[in-house]
Amino acid sequence: MRYFLRRIGFFLATLWAAVTLNFIIPRLQPGDPAEIMFKKLQGRDAELDPAKIEALRAMLGDPAGKNLWEQYWNYLGSLSRGELGLSYTYFPYDVATVIGVALPWTLVLVGTTLLISFVVGTLLGAFAAWRRNTRFDSIVTLGSTFIGTLPAFWLALLILFAFGYVLGWFPTAGGYDASTPGWNAEFIGDAIYHSILPASVLLITGPIGWILGMRNTMIMNLGEDYVRLARAKGVPDTQIALRYAARNALLPSITGLALALGSMLGGQILIEQVFDYPGLGRLTAQAIDNKDYPLLQALLLFTIVGVLLANLIADMLYGILDPRARKAQS
Amino acid sequence: MALLEVKNLGVRYEPRLHKPVQAVDDVSFEIAEGEFVGLIGESGSGKSTLANALLRLVERPGRISGGSIVFDGNDLATMTQDELRPYRWRDISTVFQSSMNALNPVVRVVDQFRDAIELHSDLRGDAVVDRVRQLFGMVMIEEKFLTAYPHELSGGMKQRINLALALVNKPRFVLLDEPTTGLDVVVQRSILEAVRTLQAEQKFAVLFISHDMGTVLDLSDRILVMYAGRIVEEHDSADLMRNPLHPYSKGLLGSYGDPRAQTVRITYVPGRPPDLTREHAGCLFAPRCPERIDRCLSVEPELLAVDGARVACHVAQLQAEPEDGVEVPARSAKFAGPEFVKSDDESKEALSQHAFLTLSDVSKTYRTRNGFTFSDFTAVDDVAFELRRGAVTALVGQSGSGKSTLAKLITGVEKPTAGTIMFHTREGRAIDVVGLRPGQLRDYRSKVQMVFQDPYSSLNPTKTLGYILSRPLRNFLGLSGEALKQRVEELLEKVALTPASRYRNRYAYELSGGQRQRVVIARALASNPELIVADEPISSLDVSIRAEILELLHDLVQESDVGILYITHDLLSARMLADEIIVLSQGRVVEQGRALTVIRDPSDDYTRKLLDAIPNPFDKLDRPA
Repeated sequence: MRYFLRRIGFFLATLWAAVTLNFIIPRLQPGDPAEIMFKKLQGRDAELDPAKIEALRAMLGDPAGKNLWEQYWNYLGSLSRGELGLSYTYFPYDVATVIGVALPWTLVLVGTTLLISFVVGTLLGAFAAWRRNTRFDSIVTLGSTFIGTLPAFWLALLILFAFGYVLGWFPTAGGYDASTPGWNAEFIGDAIYHSILPASVLLITGPIGWILGMRNTMIMNLGEDYVRLARAKGVPDTQIALRYAARNALLPSITGLALALGSMLGGQILIEQVFDYPGLGRLTAQAIDNKDYPLLQALLLFTIVGVLLANLIADMLYGILDPRARKAQS
Repeated sequence: MALLEVKNLGVRYEPRLHKPVQAVDDVSFEIAEGEFVGLIGESGSGKSTLANALLRLVERPGRISGGSIVFDGNDLATMTQDELRPYRWRDISTVFQSSMNALNPVVRVVDQFRDAIELHSDLRGDAVVDRVRQLFGMVMIEEKFLTAYPHELSGGMKQRINLALALVNKPRFVLLDEPTTGLDVVVQRSILEAVRTLQAEQKFAVLFISHDMGTVLDLSDRILVMYAGRIVEEHDSADLMRNPLHPYSKGLLGSYGDPRAQTVRITYVPGRPPDLTREHAGCLFAPRCPERIDRCLSVEPELLAVDGARVACHVAQLQAEPEDGVEVPARSAKFAGPEFVKSDDESKEALSQHAFLTLSDVSKTYRTRNGFTFSDFTAVDDVAFELRRGAVTALVGQSGSGKSTLAKLITGVEKPTAGTIMFHTREGRAIDVVGLRPGQLRDYRSKVQMVFQDPYSSLNPTKTLGYILSRPLRNFLGLSGEALKQRVEELLEKVALTPASRYRNRYAYELSGGQRQRVVIARALASNPELIVADEPISSLDVSIRAEILELLHDLVQESDVGILYITHDLLSARMLADEIIVLSQGRVVEQGRALTVIRDPSDDYTRKLLDAIPNPFDKLDRPA
């Protein structure tokens, strides 16, 4: 129990530090953010109209005349209410709304493919290790090493070219077109249809890491004495493979999975760009292009929180799955 | 009919990239119901491969290449894994060497018993737990550890639990593969006692495999001696001690001396085990054998009955049944090879020498942080002793007694929290070791050198011996060119790696364990040190060559004016090498005195406990001198 409380404590402390840094760093830049922004919007030598700057300041949620301490409290307050400022790119929508629209796309696409990749990859890796040095093992290991050397975006371009343009089987851009977003069969079908190409790229490249990682750890575990002992005990092969070798080999992969789920919130920038998919990755790319600081900052905060949360979950899971971790740190 | 009949068993390793090795060759023996049989062999003798073959755990690229393993009338060697499964753990169980890893780290102890029970019996639920409780009682482990995870147990407890686990289904045959190797002597003793008692009660048959003749002889009714993949002698254990037949058995027995004698003698087998990937003719032991005759070099001896035992040795067979025209040496129970002798008089003389390293009231406390709390651990507590030139002082204690910490303090790797360490050089200069600044340590280290435990990992595998030995010569003495080359050869010759020119360009992996340790010693000698700290220098070596290294160290002390601090857990080897013995327990010196006095007349309970824990098969017999 102490282990879990400690982990939560660490999580809260890091979260606070990240949020505070996110507040401090923009304020360390010289000059008034509103003035800089004004110049950016109007051109370098624009006349500064005090009224406009005041309006911009109010819009940015940074009323002048308050000291840093008050600003900090305001910042924490608006954070907790989900007020993240206005997006320049999608003016006049606020950042929270913009992210809210993009989030489900990424969550569904990247989340689903990640989970499928993990399950498939881990199973393939475990099976390759169990059947090591057989033809199956060679094909799986060599095949995934080969695919692993191909850049994912290049693969994405190839697939887009072949199935989108040459064959014309799938749409080449967007998340949906001829339907109204909502819980209706038409839209869901449309969305799935649009997601098939990006998903296939993610499913080709996704499992590789899990396959190789699982195979190597599992081979190491198969050489352990407790596996030999299990054999000598007469434990059936499937049980040795699953309960003894795979169970122990899974531990490092769990950490990997949680971290991957966390960074998923950053989206798959390259893949979403190639397929012009309306997720967080494409949004990030747009925010960078347009110097949309509020949006970028929010996306960054979002990713940080995601990674931290994932870390917390990984630690918790590890604590449950590996009794040694609990002991070592409590 | 015997319970287990092994006939002409062979195991062959055929790796893709290396030459094939016949690791076990034509091995035949029987074990009767309830019999306790010991199998002795050194590293590379094929004993663990044989164990794996008996359990049908040989994995590729190894395979059983021939022969049969008949258990209770059924041949295990040809069964499929599925046919074999009903025998596993119900009839045949095992305890592996490394107690650390034989239990699944993520499963509670009780559940590791549960699958073994439920696979092979009708017990379920609470009945299972009751059975485990009963077994815990047998090996004297408290019931609260039922729900513990393996990492919460000490090494000794794990091995007791492994033993209990082996007995869970009342097997008829238990294979013990080095069950106590790596454990402290005292713990080892208690495990072996448990084995002895349980075997006497439950009458299961045992094959006890070990490299340590002492423990095997102590427990077994009958002994199999294995060398280079073959059984070279099979003998009733009491009779083996009196009349060993094979020269290798004699060599192994000769490596045990009586530590209480005024003058101790132990023999060793020179040379190294054969390379089994090469073709051979004749007896595989012949190159190392002091009794060999011409026939040994051309004809491979068979394992034949001689005087109620079986032996694979032409000489022993001819001694029993002489042939006309073939002369053999007279039968002797003693190994006719080299011998290491240490007398008490030498110790008396050595202890009259001048002290050159003095430790007074030395303590070392380590502080560990756990969250916001600190805890102190005193590794060395108020220790005082002196080391003398031309004398060997042994620091004896179990793991955790603080002996390695003392070595670190003496070599200046760490600083004591209290006390002083003074070193007096040959030139009469006094060095305050505690007050040395980093720059001065370099000079001090040329005077104090270490020999480490494991010669396999303390030599850089990518460098030639010449290079390894030249480093300290360059660094400490500034030698170069011809002078450097000459000194390297002198060092190699000093540790009897002759001719030096043949060894200079070789790599460590081409050498045997004993030869490697010689190189490590030569390296320590390179800077012309005054003190050599040897941390368990022989414990990772095979028994038959240990005395060889002891003799080398002994000669060094006799010939030059170096002093040796010999750190060990083994009182027996301390008596062999050391003039003075210091016994450490929990960081404190509990006993100190001339080696023979400490052994013959220990004043401290802890020393007595250590002495009792030494397996001494000869206690039961009046040993022929």
